[in-house]
Amino acid sequence: MRTRQLLIVVSACLLLSTIWAQTGANPTAGQSLSVATSSVSADNLLKAGPAAWSQIAVKHVALNRTPPLYDTDEPATREISSVDVRLARVSKNLLVQLSWRDPTHDAVTLAEVPDTTPETRFRKVQTEADDRFFDAAAVMFPAKSGSDAIAPSLQMGDAEHPVKIYYWNATRGSMVMQAQGRGTTRRTGQNFPANSTYQNGQWNVIFELPDLPAGTTVAFAVWNGSQKDRDGRKYFSVWQVLE
Amino acid sequence: MSKHQYAMVMDLNKCLGCQTCTIACKKLWTDRDGTGYMYWNNVETRPGLGYPRQWDRIGGGWKDGALQPSPLPTMDDYGHAWEYNYEQRLYEGKKQPVMPSPEPKSGCNWDEDVGGMNEDENYFFYLPRICNHCTYPACLEACPRKAIYKREEDGIVVIDQDRCQGYRYCIKACPYKKIYFNEVTGKSEKCIFCYPRLEKGEVNACAAQCPGRLRFVGLLDDPESPVHKLVLVHKIALPLFPEKGTQPNVFYVPPFNPPKRANYGKSIQEDPRVPLDYLIYLFGPEVKDVILRLGAELNKTQQGGRSEALQLLTGRDAETRYHVRPQLVQIQL
Repeated sequence: MRTRQLLIVVSACLLLSTIWAQTGANPTAGQSLSVATSSVSADNLLKAGPAAWSQIAVKHVALNRTPPLYDTDEPATREISSVDVRLARVSKNLLVQLSWRDPTHDAVTLAEVPDTTPETRFRKVQTEADDRFFDAAAVMFPAKSGSDAIAPSLQMGDAEHPVKIYYWNATRGSMVMQAQGRGTTRRTGQNFPANSTYQNGQWNVIFELPDLPAGTTVAFAVWNGSQKDRDGRKYFSVWQVLE
Repeated sequence: MSKHQYAMVMDLNKCLGCQTCTIACKKLWTDRDGTGYMYWNNVETRPGLGYPRQWDRIGGGWKDGALQPSPLPTMDDYGHAWEYNYEQRLYEGKKQPVMPSPEPKSGCNWDEDVGGMNEDENYFFYLPRICNHCTYPACLEACPRKAIYKREEDGIVVIDQDRCQGYRYCIKACPYKKIYFNEVTGKSEKCIFCYPRLEKGEVNACAAQCPGRLRFVGLLDDPESPVHKLVLVHKIALPLFPEKGTQPNVFYVPPFNPPKRANYGKSIQEDPRVPLDYLIYLFGPEVKDVILRLGAELNKTQQGGRSEALQLLTGRDAETRYHVRPQLVQIQL
């Protein structure tokens, strides 16, 4: 058990040192993301098909797999190696399209919750499963605007550098979260416009973010439901910088 | 560590297996969308599969200070909830009998009254189960969102539905598998020890409705409470699977275990109806001493003496069985 704990700590340190080497205080030029300007309205671009988005420059962003977080975790292999990111600035919004290959489509449509008037009380919505997890993705950026020179901790920010997380789940939709360090993530109760398609083993998810100025750091995460991904058990990118 | 600890004692000798507690709990707390399959209180037949089936062998809990791995039970393990087509039969003129759907293949009391064989004789007893509101809750430790907490004033373990994100590490960690995932809300839920009732001076719904009057409720640290007396003074109630390391606060008076053939004068540990090994499996080796203590109390009364422990166990009045302290904040024990 002790050996395993040690292994986890060592692998976490190695991973973190790699990340720090890659990010440092200022992410390197290799981590910059070009942002297109689009004359299409945000609403139209949100619903636009692959043809419209394919005209926007793409950046292949490498994804890392988090090391096992808990002793009781089953080990997971790295099945998703990168995410394709496209960005477009539209009036007062920044639209981000994340595309990644995931052969397993982990999403369901949960039954609508009916009005439980006394007459229909015996027609309850039943739970169909308790042990399935769903595909998801997120975009994280500093909650405080303005270039801060130092990027927040990649682990959900830190006390001085809170982050906002725009989280999309294939079954439960979108939600805006905020955090200031690992384990502090909170739902804000707000959601945001998002659109997703799954075709031929590929997710295309479009997030409508508020307008983020050039120089803002952003990071991406992808969860694979069939790998029981949730929480910090996920794929993540290092910080990237908007051009 | 909480200032006080609510606890429950269940006398297994008095359980009828009628499931009234199960229904009381279900009607009060889990009559909502997404809770069809879930029973915060269930009564299972022992020996038996349990609910979810084989929960006692699946994993979780503590060992040497570390959480133990466990898979998540599947819906097949719980048994899919079913509904009856009353509407078709009663309002739409369907002639066939009312039928359940989906076809039931398992459930929370699927193997009721099956039990086991002790040589050539069948034996079984009922085991009512709720969340154990453990002193060292594995679920609390496992939750990365800190959504689970143990109430400082009374030791009741609850899940903050605003914090819960449905990760289900708690379900894996609980060695009693007493946390359930609600897929409609996307959050996990569990027995809340009826704290809203306790705060009004009412005892837990499962206890209040029990026709066998087998449940005792009070603070473990309150010398006046029946649970304090049964667990700490008379020492005739034990937690389930103590080796799981969570220190449960639900205790059981084990079956008296009379001899199989009821031979007069025989010790209750000779020729026992329930194999002692099985009781040790459930309650640990201390169960032997508890059975001897129960036997001694029984002998005392059979010879015309008075047993305070048995008087308490047979207590008919709510005042005897429950000692609910609604104003916990102000009491100093």
